Amino acid sequence: MYNHKKNGFLGIIITVIILIILVIVTNMETSKLYNFENVISKIILPVQNVITYLQNKISGNTTFFADMDQLKQENQELKEKNSQLEQQLRELEIIKAENETLKQYQALAEKYQSYKTIPAYVINRDITNYSKILVINVGKDDGVEENMTVIADEGLVGNIISVTSNTAKVQTIVDSASSTSALTSSTRDSMVCKGTIDGTSTLKATYIAIDSNIIEGDSVETSGLGGIYPKGIHIGKVTKVTEGKNKIDKTVEVETAVNFDRLETVLIITNHN
Amino acid sequence: MKKIFINIAIIISFIFIYLLQANFFTWFKIAGVMPNLLIILMLYIGLFMGRNSAIIYGAIFGMLVDIFISRKLGITSIMLVIIGIIADLFDKNFSKDNRITVMTMVGVSTIIYEIGTYILSYFFLNINIEILAFIKILLIETLFNIILTIIIYPIIQLTGYDVEEAYKGSKILTRYF
Repeated sequence: MYNHKKNGFLGIIITVIILIILVIVTNMETSKLYNFENVISKIILPVQNVITYLQNKISGNTTFFADMDQLKQENQELKEKNSQLEQQLRELEIIKAENETLKQYQALAEKYQSYKTIPAYVINRDITNYSKILVINVGKDDGVEENMTVIADEGLVGNIISVTSNTAKVQTIVDSASSTSALTSSTRDSMVCKGTIDGTSTLKATYIAIDSNIIEGDSVETSGLGGIYPKGIHIGKVTKVTEGKNKIDKTVEVETAVNFDRLETVLIITNHN
Repeated sequence: MKKIFINIAIIISFIFIYLLQANFFTWFKIAGVMPNLLIILMLYIGLFMGRNSAIIYGAIFGMLVDIFISRKLGITSIMLVIIGIIADLFDKNFSKDNRITVMTMVGVSTIIYEIGTYILSYFFLNINIEILAFIKILLIETLFNIILTIIIYPIIQLTGYDVEEAYKGSKILTRYF
């Protein structure tokens, strides 16, 4: 009975470890392998420090126990000083975070000066694997309405699909039910970018003229057709161009400029329509 | 009294799971796919609390999820109710004393839930048909849910039979002898 319970507990621990390894390995980019080295060194370094410290203490440090009282007093003073510094550090961190957010808002507003915008935070994300909807912390009371365009510092995020008095749902351009009319910035070739169900940063572009000159690396922006998105908002870059077997169609993969997994601050354009 | 406590615990579990799904599992993913703990919760309700509770909770929880994050009301609700009913069927036909059986139930429920959600999303939300991508998501999500079941199985076992006794009474004699 005891052994059975022990084995069960061990099994759970092993499963948790396997799960964590799976998540890390499947999400790791090969170019970031050097991070692994960093992690290892971060684990080993404190151990090494402790060993070196002990070595130093053991090997002939005869003044270690000298003047205990003085050391205690000094220790007390240092502790007090330390707590004061920690308090200051916390205050500074709060100020730093506020400053960072304000900077982001400022950068966004400067980039899209011609539009009247409202800043917002992402407060909720979709819990399914098929749709990529976000909830933001502004709503009707702040002047937000359906079909308004949502952007981030890097480019287009999506559009508002429903609004409550103080929240709004945003259908992102990577949502599998979303279609965005777009153009390449250099060759002005038109296309329709659709979200896919298995990617959070990839769009599949179709309805492309077979004689178009799209190449990898081309910048893609909104065309303004359809009436939802304003013209000229950056979407992303072409990463792959595929021609059909019969050479009658062409598909393009576009990597979005916005990192939807880490999106926190957005702007809603209120004066487009 | 015991039933009130159980219901409060179920509601707290739902809130906890929702927050976990919307925060922790948005980055703790296997190959970009997140699990769905709501399926496991509904399976638990169906297995230990019975069909009626599963239908009521499935409808309410599904509706809440749809209000919070979906574009149309109803899809999650319908699918969670179906999972609750399936869980009740599992309870009538299989023993839930075995870890492997519960893991299989979670696997089958996840597959049914995801296929149902995908079909309903196709009709009501006009999402693209991408069979290969869907199969990839389906398999990884099922695997993820099964792994999580292994981890939380002791909690299921520890609490499940008390919940069952409060809701269905002790049926051990009629069932096994």
